[in-house]
This record gives sequence, C-alpha cells and structure tokens, in this order.
Amino acid sequence: MTRYLKTAIILFLISAICTALCAIVNEITAPLIAGNIESERIAALEDVAAGYSIGAETAVNDGTVNYYIPLSDGDSSAGYIVELSTSGYGGAMTVIASYTSDGAVMEAKMMANSETPGLGKKAEEPWYMEMFKGLGADSPLPATKSDLNAEDNAAVSGASITFSGVSSALIAGSEFVKGLGGAV
Amino acid sequence: MSHIKELTKGIFKENPTFIIMLGMCPTLGVSTQVSNALGMGASVIFVLTCSNIFISLLRKVIPDSVRIPCYIVIIASFVTIVEMVLHAFVPSVYEALGVYLPLIVVNCIILGRAEAFAGKNGVLDSALDGIGMGVGFTLSLSLIALIREVFGAGTITLFPVGSFSGVITIPGLSESPVRVLTLAAGALLLMGYLKAFFQWKTSRPKGGRA
Repeated sequence: MTRYLKTAIILFLISAICTALCAIVNEITAPLIAGNIESERIAALEDVAAGYSIGAETAVNDGTVNYYIPLSDGDSSAGYIVELSTSGYGGAMTVIASYTSDGAVMEAKMMANSETPGLGKKAEEPWYMEMFKGLGADSPLPATKSDLNAEDNAAVSGASITFSGVSSALIAGSEFVKGLGGAV
Repeated sequence: MSHIKELTKGIFKENPTFIIMLGMCPTLGVSTQVSNALGMGASVIFVLTCSNIFISLLRKVIPDSVRIPCYIVIIASFVTIVEMVLHAFVPSVYEALGVYLPLIVVNCIILGRAEAFAGKNGVLDSALDGIGMGVGFTLSLSLIALIREVFGAGTITLFPVGSFSGVITIPGLSESPVRVLTLAAGALLLMGYLKAFFQWKTSRPKGGRA
C-alpha cells in the first residue's frame, strides 16, 4: 500500500512541476499568440474583402455564424464577410468568407483547423475555394462531392469530411446573408 | 567514454536518423524545406536536452514501474513549451511544422534516449547526449531537406531577415526541378540512398577499401 502511495505521490509531483512550468510559459506567450491570431484574422478579412471597405463587426454566435461584417463600395452595400464555425476530420474548423448581398460566395479562406496534412489541409490552398466562388445565389453551392465536376471531385478525394465541413459552412453562410437582405 | 565522445557520437557514429533509424516520421514529413528542418531540429535539440537533464536528475526518484508515464509527462511538457514559444515568436515555422510539432512527444529519439541513456547516466553526460543526438538529428534532417528542396524545387528556404525574403532561387533548377523529390516517394528514395552511404561509410574497415 505504501509503495503504491509513494509511486502516486511521485507521479503527482512530477506532473505538478511540469504543469507549473507550462503555466509560466503560457503566461508569457499567451498575449503574443493572441496578437498573432488577431493579425492573421485581420489579414484574412482584407484578403476576402475583394477590395471593398470593411465595416463594423456584429456578433451572432448561433453555432455556425460567429459574426458578420458589412462590405461597402462607397455608399452602396457590396455584401458581407461572415466568419463560420464548422467541423472537419480533425475537429473544429473556422472559415472566413465574403458574399454578395444575394448570397453568392466572393472569396473564402480556411482559418484555424486540425485537418490532415496532404489531405484535408488542402482546403488552406487558394485553389480549393475556387470551386465555391460565384455559387450560392442563382446556382447552388455544392453540398456533397457528387455535386462537383470530375476534376474537383478528384481534387477533394481522400478528404470528404473536410469538404462536407467547408461546403456546409459556406451554405449556412449564404443562407444567413440572404436572410440579412442587404441590411447594414 | 569521455564527455566529448558523448557529445559527438550522435553526429556520425550513432546518428539517430541514418544509423539508429529513429524519428523517421518527422524526418520524412518536414524535410520539404530547409527552414522547416532547422525549426524542427532546434525544437528537438531543446526538448531532447531538457528532457534528458530532467530525467537524469529524477532517475533515482522515479519508480521503475511508472518510468515511462513519467518520461512522457516530462517530454510532453517540454514539447508544449516549444509549441507555445514557436507559436508566439515564429508563427510561420509553427504553421509549417503543423502536426509534427506535437508529435515530438512520441518521437522515438526522445523517448529512446530517455530510456536508453538519461535514465541510467549522470546529468552532464545526459545533457551532452541530448545536445549531440539533437545536433545529429538536425544535421541529418537539414541534409535531406537541402537535397530535396534544391533538386525538387530549385530553391533554398531560410528565414527572412530585413530585406532578404528568406528564399534563395537556384537558376536552372527552379525552372525544371526533379518534382518527385518533393513527394513522399522521393523522400523515401533519398533516405534509402543516404542510409546506404552511411552504412558503407561506417561498415568499411578502417584504412581498407570497401
């Protein structure tokens, strides 16, 4: 009994020391990491804004849409940027996309994700989002791989769950934007 | 064995990549660019040295029955520290290393040296073993990455400094590279050739002809 207790105490103490070390480093690095993530987000917003002026952010947090930002071209509304939460093979994913006021995807970018390198990670590459561009208004966004042409279907093969996650998020974003009806 | 030998054995005689053949997964995974190899190598040197020192210090305290969980907790803590530091200060390297960074926890080199060396030897020798093995791993990884990137992409990617973008383009090779070297198959082929070279170099009799 004493042997087991001694072993447990040693294991606990080692874990406690290691946790304390990690906590100290986290205390130092957490603000810098938050700053890096914010810089990345701002760069992504500028990338998907398609040259339009970016307005003020409005929080939604309905489980899929985190927030939206109106885009303007001078005095007229040009569309919206929407940040979307979804899930892929590796867990939670975040997608930032811009839409015209009628719900068509203008630009999209994969943000935080834990997808598999070489498979789901392909969604971070610029060509991946090309298959969604211009769709969502008159033409529907692809919901499954079978809605894609043969070339795109082959390109996303091996990462169907990532594709479903991205497409479902973009469809939800499109519906959300249509619901806004051009309101700023 | 002298302290110098502990430090230098990992570079050639007991090179973790080409002789002991440990840590193959990150070796093949991140050796597509020289900057990734240097980032991964620096991370492994830090984790290996720190975990070796820590494990050597505690070797008489850690009960034999729970030594592996203790080693894993110690190694995982140092890997977490490296992750946080890279994410904060070198986010580009953090992004590039991706899943291979947390996988250092289960890198056979780290656990192998903890079990085979640090758990049985003094702090100084364990620290030197960690540095030597880490440097040996970094040199091997950098060699593979250099060959793969130069011939596979016609570039050498380092870190941007001031007006230097960090990418050196090699005229001739960048226009018509040997693309297979950037793929997994090319990495395995290259690894095989380098292993054969090291095998020949270490197995031939001293002063004799192979």
